[in-house]
Amino acid sequence: MAEPVLKRIAHGDSRAVAQCIDEFGGLVWALARRLTRTRADAEDAVQEIFTDIWRSAGRFDPSQGSEKVFITTIARRRLIDRLRRAKQEPATESTDVLDLVGWSDPGSRGEICVEAERAAQAVAQLRPDQQKVLQLGILNGLTHSEIAAATGMPLGTVKTNMRRGLIQVRELMSVFVDERGEVRS
Amino acid sequence: MNSAALRDDRLVDLLVKQTTEGVTPEEQVEIERLFASYPDSDRDEMARTAAALALAGNFAEEPLPQGLRDRLQTDAARWIAMRESKVTDLAERREARAATSAGDTRSAATPARWQWLAVAACLVLAITGWWPRLRDLANQQQADVREPQPEVSAPAPVEPTPAQSREQLLARGRVVSAAWSNTEDPASRGVSGDVVWDNATQTGYMRFSGLAPNDPSQSQYQLWIFDAKQDDRYPIDGGVFDIPAGATEVVVPIKAKIGVREPAMFAVTIERPGGVVVSGREHIVTLAKAAAG
Repeated sequence: MAEPVLKRIAHGDSRAVAQCIDEFGGLVWALARRLTRTRADAEDAVQEIFTDIWRSAGRFDPSQGSEKVFITTIARRRLIDRLRRAKQEPATESTDVLDLVGWSDPGSRGEICVEAERAAQAVAQLRPDQQKVLQLGILNGLTHSEIAAATGMPLGTVKTNMRRGLIQVRELMSVFVDERGEVRS
Repeated sequence: MNSAALRDDRLVDLLVKQTTEGVTPEEQVEIERLFASYPDSDRDEMARTAAALALAGNFAEEPLPQGLRDRLQTDAARWIAMRESKVTDLAERREARAATSAGDTRSAATPARWQWLAVAACLVLAITGWWPRLRDLANQQQADVREPQPEVSAPAPVEPTPAQSREQLLARGRVVSAAWSNTEDPASRGVSGDVVWDNATQTGYMRFSGLAPNDPSQSQYQLWIFDAKQDDRYPIDGGVFDIPAGATEVVVPIKAKIGVREPAMFAVTIERPGGVVVSGREHIVTLAKAAAG
């Protein structure tokens, strides 16, 4: 089995740095497009994210998850940080005109990576209000206050749903691993 | 994250906030402090869960725009060059420490510095041939190589002290400045002073009063620069330094190991001799939140 590109970057393989762009550029670009306000902002974010990825490659541990999850974790952290700062400025786009992303059907995300499929299965078992809060927060980058405004839920309920939903998904994903005895890929 | 950490309500609240809408630098410091009570925790588990959820959305990957792909390839070449020089710099620091501990009073770092500068210059010149967009970087590196070669007969220049250099920097204006604030660490008591940083020249100085003298064979102070353009968990190494006994006010030059784009906060920690690559942040002595001057 070929060595993961992140491992090769960590070992000093210069060709792997560019290969990382080929393998994961489409994913990072799609994530950035969803969690930034403008195309120019998305392009800036992608450049920052790849620098983070190359610098953090040595921390990638295949036993903790796939490369896609590792890269998505780094990308989301950077994008959320940018969103947080951007939202301190006046909004240029209201949430009701955003093209909101929803959940995939369980069974349809296996080709992305095993964790995405497990997450799709786990989220399908949550209550609808928890699913909605996670959808708006995780997939679409809305803050807790924005979710409260968009759904009419009290802010405290949004926070509780977010917290319980995340913990439940984490537990359900662990159960799927235990039940199937799978090694994470 | 283990079950004990999951029972810490404040920590879980902060992690959920970090994972969904982001945290302030102060909250990030609080997360690090709370995690110190759970040394066996998997700190990234919540973030990985959110990442898996993000991948479970009904979206498709999209091809990178060609212009962005070109810029990423330029970034990649620049990053590789920087990494090569950094690896050699680390070796140089180890060599310098070894020479110092062996009682060698000569400048042990000098030969290694020339070696890596020569390698970096060759590398950058080679890359420049292939990649015209890296010319600025190459010119800068070449200047670095040529600069320390004075005429044999020229009088030795008088180096300004760090305090004088700090004053000169302030006189030029447009610097980022911040006053040190105290933390809960016992070593923070009575510490005052400030930090100034000029992003254009990537130079800066820390000024301290009341910071306890250290024994360099036991521990050293290390500066960390939190860059608003970088992940808060991986601040930039701003260099290790010592506070001599008997000094009332000390001015220390900042030695950032990589470029700082938008300094947001400066933090000083106590680390083992020679410093560390990633701080455990057990002893955060003082913090300064940046404000543009």
